[in-house]
This record gives sequence, C-alpha cells and structure tokens, in this order.
Amino acid sequence: MSAQCEKVNSTSPSCEFGPKLKLLRSNDQVRELQTILRDKNTSRTDFKFYADRLIRLVIEESLNQLPFDTCMVMTPTGNYYKGTKYQRGNCGVSIVRSGEAMEQGLRDCCRSIRIGKILVESDSDTHEARVVYAKFPHDIADRKVLLMYPIMSTGNTVIKAVNVLKEHRVAEDNIILSNLFTTPIAAQTITTAFPLMTILTSELYHIAPNHFGQKYFGTD
Amino acid sequence: MAAKIQPFDPPSSASSDSDLNEYRDVVGDISIALDNDDEESDSIISSSMSPSKQSNSAPSTVLVKSPRSTLRQRTTSVSQSTKKTASESVLQSHTRTIYTAGRPPWYNTAGQQVEPFVIGVCGGSASGKTTVARKIIESLNVPWVVLLSMDSFYKVLTAEQHEKAAHNEYNFDHPEAFDFELLTSTLQRLKDGKKVEVPIYNFVTHARETKTKTMYGANVIIFEGIMAFYNSDVLKMLDMKVFVDTDADIRLARRLKRDISQRGRDLQGVLKQYCNMVKPSFSHYIAPSMIHADIIVPRGGDNTVAIELIVRHVHKQLQARGFKLRETLAMSYIGQPLPSSIHLLPSTPQTQGLHTFIRNKDTPKDEFIFYSKRLIRLVIEFALSLLPFKDVIVDTPQCVPYSGKRCASDKICGVSILRAGETMEQAVCDVCKDIRIGKILIQTNRSTGEPELYYLRLPKDIKDYMVILMDATVATGAAAMMAIRVLLDHDVPEENILLVSLLMAESGVHTIAYAFPQVRIVTSAVDPEINEKFHVLPGIGNFGDRYFGTEPEEYISS
Repeated sequence: MSAQCEKVNSTSPSCEFGPKLKLLRSNDQVRELQTILRDKNTSRTDFKFYADRLIRLVIEESLNQLPFDTCMVMTPTGNYYKGTKYQRGNCGVSIVRSGEAMEQGLRDCCRSIRIGKILVESDSDTHEARVVYAKFPHDIADRKVLLMYPIMSTGNTVIKAVNVLKEHRVAEDNIILSNLFTTPIAAQTITTAFPLMTILTSELYHIAPNHFGQKYFGTD
Repeated sequence: MAAKIQPFDPPSSASSDSDLNEYRDVVGDISIALDNDDEESDSIISSSMSPSKQSNSAPSTVLVKSPRSTLRQRTTSVSQSTKKTASESVLQSHTRTIYTAGRPPWYNTAGQQVEPFVIGVCGGSASGKTTVARKIIESLNVPWVVLLSMDSFYKVLTAEQHEKAAHNEYNFDHPEAFDFELLTSTLQRLKDGKKVEVPIYNFVTHARETKTKTMYGANVIIFEGIMAFYNSDVLKMLDMKVFVDTDADIRLARRLKRDISQRGRDLQGVLKQYCNMVKPSFSHYIAPSMIHADIIVPRGGDNTVAIELIVRHVHKQLQARGFKLRETLAMSYIGQPLPSSIHLLPSTPQTQGLHTFIRNKDTPKDEFIFYSKRLIRLVIEFALSLLPFKDVIVDTPQCVPYSGKRCASDKICGVSILRAGETMEQAVCDVCKDIRIGKILIQTNRSTGEPELYYLRLPKDIKDYMVILMDATVATGAAAMMAIRVLLDHDVPEENILLVSLLMAESGVHTIAYAFPQVRIVTSAVDPEINEKFHVLPGIGNFGDRYFGTEPEEYISS
C-alpha cells in the first residue's frame, strides 16, 4: 500500500494490532446493520437483506485498499476533471462457505472480476482446520487478492487459507482480507502470523456472531 | 395526500391525477365562461347530473346563490370544463396565456413564502362577481391564480332543513347558511401557501362530498361570495376588497331570465323566493358590507375602467413581492465557506474513481449506469446514517446481550425530483425495505429559465415522515428549492428533510443552505462553477440524459 493511499483513507487503523488492521468507518447506520445481524430475533429474510448491505459497504471499503493512479478526463461540459483510475490485476478469493456470501457484493462492485475459492474444513475429531479444495485464477501470483471471509473468532481458517495463497506464490502484502466481524483474539493471531497482510473489518468485538453462515444460507 | 385525490375527470390522461390538475380545473371553469354566454347549459342535462359529477362544483364561475336549480346548473359548466381542459395544459384567453402547465415559483430567492395577494369580491346575487373575477384574472396575466368560491362553504343541512330546501324555503342567502370557521381557516392556509382541502358541497344532498378539492396558495387568490365581507376575520385577510354594485332591477332581471327561461321555473316561485329571501338578505347583510370595499364596481364585468385600475394595483403589489428566481440564485455566495448543513460523502479512492468514470464524456453508457449506481448506493447509505438513531440492547444467539443502535424513525420515505432523481430510487429501495416513494416533476421553462412544477405525487401522510429528497445533480438549486418548498407546504418539518444528490454546485449548496438552514444536504462532490446553461462545471453533463440515453444529437456524435 502506498503512502499516498494511506492519506486519503477513510478507515482508521486500530493501533493495538498495527497499521494493517483497518476498521470500516463507523456511523449510526453501520451500527444499526451490526445490531440487526447480532439480534437473535431478526428474521432470516431481514438477516440476509441487512447482511448484504453491510457486505456491500465492507467490499467498497476493501476496494479502497487497492492501488490507483491519477488521471485527467474531459467532462461533457468540455472541462477537465482530475480523477483516479483503478489499477488492473485484482481478483477475489472466497473462503467456502460463509465467504461466498460476500461474492455477490464484490460482483456488484466489479462486474467481471475473477473469483477463486478455498474450502477449509475443520476435522470433526481433532478440530484442526485443513484445506479440502482450492481453485484460483492461473495468474493469481501476479494479482492483488481480496480474500473474503465474514466472521473470525479464532482466525484458524483464515491462516490456512492465506497459507494456501502463499503456496501459490501470492505475496503477503498483496492480500487484503475482507471481514465483517472479528474478535481481538483472531485479530492478534492473524496480524502476528501475517504482518504484511491488510485486514479490513467492520467490528472488533470479543464475541463473534458465529451463526452468520447458517442464518445467511438458512441451514440452521 | 395524493391518494386522497381522486381524479374526477375520467377523459383526461396521465397528467390528470396530478394535484396541479386541480388548479387546471379551476381555471378551466373560467375558460368555459369565456367561450359561452354567462348563462349556459340547459336544465335537462343539469338536473340529470349525478351527485358525483356535482362534486366538481366548488369554485365555479356561474353566478349562483340560493335556489337549488341554479346551483345545479353550475355543475354542468364544470363537467364541460373538465372535458375541455383535460387535453390542454396551456390555456389561452384571447391572445394571452393565463395559465401554463407548470407552477412557477411562489416563494422568493430566500425560499420564503411570498404572501399571495388576496382579492375579495363581494356583491349581490347575480351581480356579476364571477365575471369581474374572471376579467381580473384575464387582465392580470399572472400564471398562477386560485379562485375560491364561498359556495364551497355552505353548511351541511339537517334532515329538516333539507326538506325545507326542497320547497325553496331554506334561506341560502343568510350568513347562518355558511360555515365561516372552516372558510377562515381554509383561506388562512391558502394565504400561508399551504395545501388546503376545499370541501365540495353537494347541492342535492346538502352535505359535503367525501372527496375534497386540493388547492395551493397561489400568487393571487380571488375569493368571491355574497357574504365575502360579512365576517371580520375574513375581511382582515383580504388585501383588496371589491364590491360589485349592480342595480337591483338588473339582478332581478337576470335571475328571472335564468330561472324561468333556462330552468323552467314559474314566475311566481322565483318572485316569491326573491322577495322573501334574496332581497331582504341583500339589504340586511350584503348592501351594508359595501362600506368595507376599497373599490366599488358599478355595472359589474362591463366596467373595464374599474377592472383596469384593479389590475394595475395588483401588478404593482406583485412586483413589490418579487418572483424572479433562477438568475438571482446563480449569482450569490461566491467564495464563501461551505455551510454546516452539508454532509459530504468521505472521499476515497473508490469514490474518486467512480466520479472519474461518470464524469468522463467518453464513458460508454453501460459503464456510466453501472458506476453511477455504485456511487448512488454509497451516497444513499451515507444519507441514512444521518437519520436519528437510538441505543438498544439486543439478545444474541451467543446468549450475550449486545448493545447497538436502531433507527429511531420507522417512517422514512423517498421523494425523487424527476427525471434525474429517479435514478436514485432503486438504491433507496435496495437499502430501505418497502420504502414509499413520492415524485415531483419540475422542469425549467425554456423561455424564462425558471423552474416550474408540473406533477406531484406524495405519500398521504408525508408530514410524519423523514423525507429523503433525491436529485442527481443540483446546479443553482432552483428545482431543489421548489421541491423543498412543496414538502414544507405539505407540513413536512424542515429538519426532517434530507436533500441527497451525487453532485452539487457550490452556489446551489449555499442557496439551499441559506433558504433552508435545517435541511441536511448530502452529496458526494461539490463543484465550483455553473455555466450559462445552469450546468455544473466541470460537472457530469446532463445526468438524466446520459443515464436514460436521451442526449441531444451533437453529444452522441462527438
């Protein structure tokens, strides 16, 4: 991430976990979305509706972590406008299953972005996370990667996933993790394990809404 | 509100359901009076009119006071007029346009209501009050006039009174026959520029229709009726008082002619009613009120000198109140710091990138739409964060209570300013479930450069809502100001309005903030200038045209 990007950033880094952990700029509206998702009395339709809204905001903010260039364009009035241009060479990677809930939000912002998938399952006996499936764009090593996973309570799944990406020669500082809710423990674990990775989340709170995937996909 | 208004002119097309049409009806009456003789229609048609058609009668032109048959006749004139005006948005009187489709500004450059000029016209039955009123409107050449008739304010009759009325024994010429309380409050609201529901009196049932006629305060309000000067509260509201003094024999002759030759009533009956009620009432209540008049017009509508005098005076008054808007707006407030009521979407690489796409004239249409939608979504989400919120504690599936926030107002509605504002509706619907959407069509009059109001559809009880007012771009702010003014006229508190747009010009921001300091202005960028076409610079061109693909040819070819 360039220094220039840091300056215009609307997100505030959370000092405790270093400059790479960024929080979505909070306002009453964002707080309401978080509250609805936490509320156990929220209906499933509402849950999906408001989850999609929060995801959209998080994705938009994650995209802000990507590099850009300045450029000059002419407006229909014949005047010039000094704008910015996104750089090419990005892709998304979702962690199955709950990460897939964020794919639509990414699609709504970047129409033709390539999206890879990783399936990490925890062994029912040992509770150890292991990678079952991974499919990426062939040139993922040259791309910036938006890794999507909405809930982190321990951070184990994400650690496995990032390791897979690194095995595919993706540079650690090219990875941006998009997340809705994280616990301080997970934040600590991940920033320690991958100090160069950018992490964007909407809330840092000691209890994670672990019902997210089940309620979103309706399998509870 | 809108839902309450039933369009009562079936032949009319799309635009007829607009509230503005109400006004068209009023003026329509006048046009009929111009085209026909004073006394039109035959009693066979009029007596066969259904009560629902009668409902149109409120501000009619036909001079009628008491007898039921005369009252019926007015309905015919209205039903004709609605037929006639349905297809017309512009009405010509002789060579002049007395009414154009859109409503021009009715407030000054500071957004404050300019008090309308109220003319009271009083006079005996069949004295020619409406003719005088019509001639004033014709000569005034003011595009927005409301004609309010006292006949709308007859009291609802009891069964007993109803019976009397059937035998021509109920005195409609007595002050007791009118509901002055309602009349005063209605006139006051009109004078304040507020929307009013004028009752529609049904002269068959002698009760008010369930429907009402919606009217707005205008530049000029003409109020006519036999007892126009009777009530002191009403008198105080009249800026100019005109008494039409026509000789008693002429008035009687008119009534006789009208009632006998056109309504088939017998001479005895008409004379009996005239002697027992109309004449005594005139001497008791109407003639003495002449002392309140500023101008007494002998011979009614034929007196062109008197009418010219009246018109000249009204013109002078209107000029003093001032209505020219757009250019004055574009000029002011250059170089001032932005007002505190503006809330700018935080600038990020993404929002700047989105701006770059939609501002670039070479962006293909599909990309233009796609990136506009993304930016609109962000602006709407940001606007929602400015709504009132309250602290709540919720139970979680993890069994640990969570303290968060919920929106304090569940009544939120969107109002889009057509056409460009409509592009933002989808985003509002995407973030607020089942949100109600109102629409306002404001167009710029090409010859005057002034904004004009054409169409209005708002949720019924909009005054209880937080209103997200949407327009894609705000240049001078003239259209947005008109829309805000409309909302205020519908009793929406100023602090409940959020004006949301993608791009605003600095001067527009200042104008709106100055006129309506409590309206919160939400936008994603503020540009410094406006060109002579009132486009923002560097701007995004005509947003609506680009979004809907209706650019003029030279734009497409370039």
